[in-house]
Amino acid sequence: MTRLSVLSEASRLGAEQPLLLWLLPLALLPLWLSPRRATPLPSLGAVPSDTLSRGIGLVLRGAGCLAVGALVLALAGPYRSGARVTRTGIGAEVSMLIDRSGSMNETFAGRQPSGAEESKAAASRRILGDFVGSRAHDLFAVTAFSTAPMLVLPMTDRHAAVRAAIQAIDRPGLDYTNVARGLGMALAQFGSGRPDASRVLLLVSDGAAVIDPRVQDGLRAAFARIRPNLYWLFLRTKGSPGIADKPTGEDTPQAAPERHLDLFFRSLAVPYRAFEAEGPEAVAAAIRQIEGLERDPIPYVETRPRRDLAGFAYALAALGLAILVAAKLIAVDLRRSGAPRIRAAAPVPPRTIAA
Amino acid sequence: MSGDILYLPRWRARGSAVGAHRGRDAGGLGTFKDQVPFWRLPDARRIDVRASLRDPFEGIVVRRFESRTALEVWALVDLSASMRFRGEADRMVLVGDLCAGLAASATRIGDRFGLLACDADIREDLSLPATRRRNEARAAAARIASAEPAGRSAAGLIAAARRIAGRPKLVFLVSDFRWPEALLDAVLAALAFHDVVPVVVADSAEEAGLPSWGLLEIEDLEGAGRRAVLMRPALRRRWLEREAQRLARLGRLVRRQGRAPFRLADRFDPEALSRHLLGS
Repeated sequence: MTRLSVLSEASRLGAEQPLLLWLLPLALLPLWLSPRRATPLPSLGAVPSDTLSRGIGLVLRGAGCLAVGALVLALAGPYRSGARVTRTGIGAEVSMLIDRSGSMNETFAGRQPSGAEESKAAASRRILGDFVGSRAHDLFAVTAFSTAPMLVLPMTDRHAAVRAAIQAIDRPGLDYTNVARGLGMALAQFGSGRPDASRVLLLVSDGAAVIDPRVQDGLRAAFARIRPNLYWLFLRTKGSPGIADKPTGEDTPQAAPERHLDLFFRSLAVPYRAFEAEGPEAVAAAIRQIEGLERDPIPYVETRPRRDLAGFAYALAALGLAILVAAKLIAVDLRRSGAPRIRAAAPVPPRTIAA
Repeated sequence: MSGDILYLPRWRARGSAVGAHRGRDAGGLGTFKDQVPFWRLPDARRIDVRASLRDPFEGIVVRRFESRTALEVWALVDLSASMRFRGEADRMVLVGDLCAGLAASATRIGDRFGLLACDADIREDLSLPATRRRNEARAAAARIASAEPAGRSAAGLIAAARRIAGRPKLVFLVSDFRWPEALLDAVLAALAFHDVVPVVVADSAEEAGLPSWGLLEIEDLEGAGRRAVLMRPALRRRWLEREAQRLARLGRLVRRQGRAPFRLADRFDPEALSRHLLGS
């Protein structure tokens, strides 16, 4: 620990009732006074010098000082104030954009799930849930979209909350897929605070939609500003067109929205990868791949809560008191056979003869 | 307090006061001392006829008898604070008993009894000039029994020794002898002319009464502070050995002056003191 950090640690210490700390000089009292009963002896010179006894004497004095000092300290209510500490770990800011359209509730085969079958939403829920817990310093934001984007969870490092948000994505979805507004909100999830953090935009959807050319410019500008790594996890239903499939007819965004969304993403000049998953295993493999790719240092904030140190002070006082009590318990006196003869009382005044 | 203390001076006392002890001078009635020529002691009542007839030179021989003389008994009492100790007995009560015994024994046979109580200086309020008056001597002994010793040293004993200079006297030096070596030497040197009986006031509580185990918080009666001592058998043994060594050293020193120290502990026993005084 460097000197500076010691100083900063010390500056975080405080007390609820600092006025009580004026009583601290009382802790020096045991240096003069002793709580044990003294045995008067004619001369200390008669006592042989003894290292152990000297040590015990010092320990007892120290215990007295400790007991008084720690009690005063404990009464003053010491604490260490909380702080936010910025650290660097391995991780990324991940903004998840999850499709909540009605088709997500179907299986990869395009049916309603029955028996042991898993819907696309349930599979992604399961796999994304594992992804959230795997690295300690990832930050996550969750956005859902169907017709309109829904802010589920802002960027946070509370993984429990993120998992809870992901748990909720297999609720029955709504109908439509409006990816453009979802992307806008997912991009807005990235704060401006960490310019050097690695940013990941993870889009999970089972379909695509046309992005209005008017919106496209805004999205391009946002991507250029934030520069996230873009991953598209495309949960492809069996038999539906893939990302690379060219339509048989006219090649318009309306006819093949997936292909055109992919083309739009490619044109953004940000690192981009698309994963086409046709089953839960493929989804898991894709997520593993993303996890392996995002290995950059990320600054993260650790919040240290305010810590009450009174218990610690009370424990110290108890330790000192325990030593003193132990000393009291083993204290002895000289063995005497009986009470010493007390000296003669004051001389009796001469008796006067009663008249 | 009741029993008499019997003491024999180790010297022939001088002086004109008639008393109970064998005197240095001749005169009066008493034990036969020697024979001298008539011209040295022209006392016709004491002509030794048998010796005169036996004398080949036909001189007249006169018998001489020892005079009986009184002497002075002094008690020099140390009033330093360590005498305040109370173990099996209160030290000053013990000293009071001893002084009362001495006072009664001395005044009963016509000796004078004097008392000098000393801390750093002589405590005049507790002292008594040598007197043959029984009540005054007893009152002084009672005063010393209720005295509160508070002195930081016993240096007044040197002044006391100077005060009783003169004819040899029987001096009881009453103290616990927890003195610096130098003071002990000085006091013994100052009293060298007298017949000194050192009375070591002790207490079995500070010797045999030391516990074998436990924590003792010891306070020095002379104000040297407090100290915690963890008693254990080894330390107790060392402690007792040190005390025994101290007493042995004291014994060696005072025996040079003639008498062994008398140990006054727990209870004053006049017979033991008499045996000690007659024996040594």
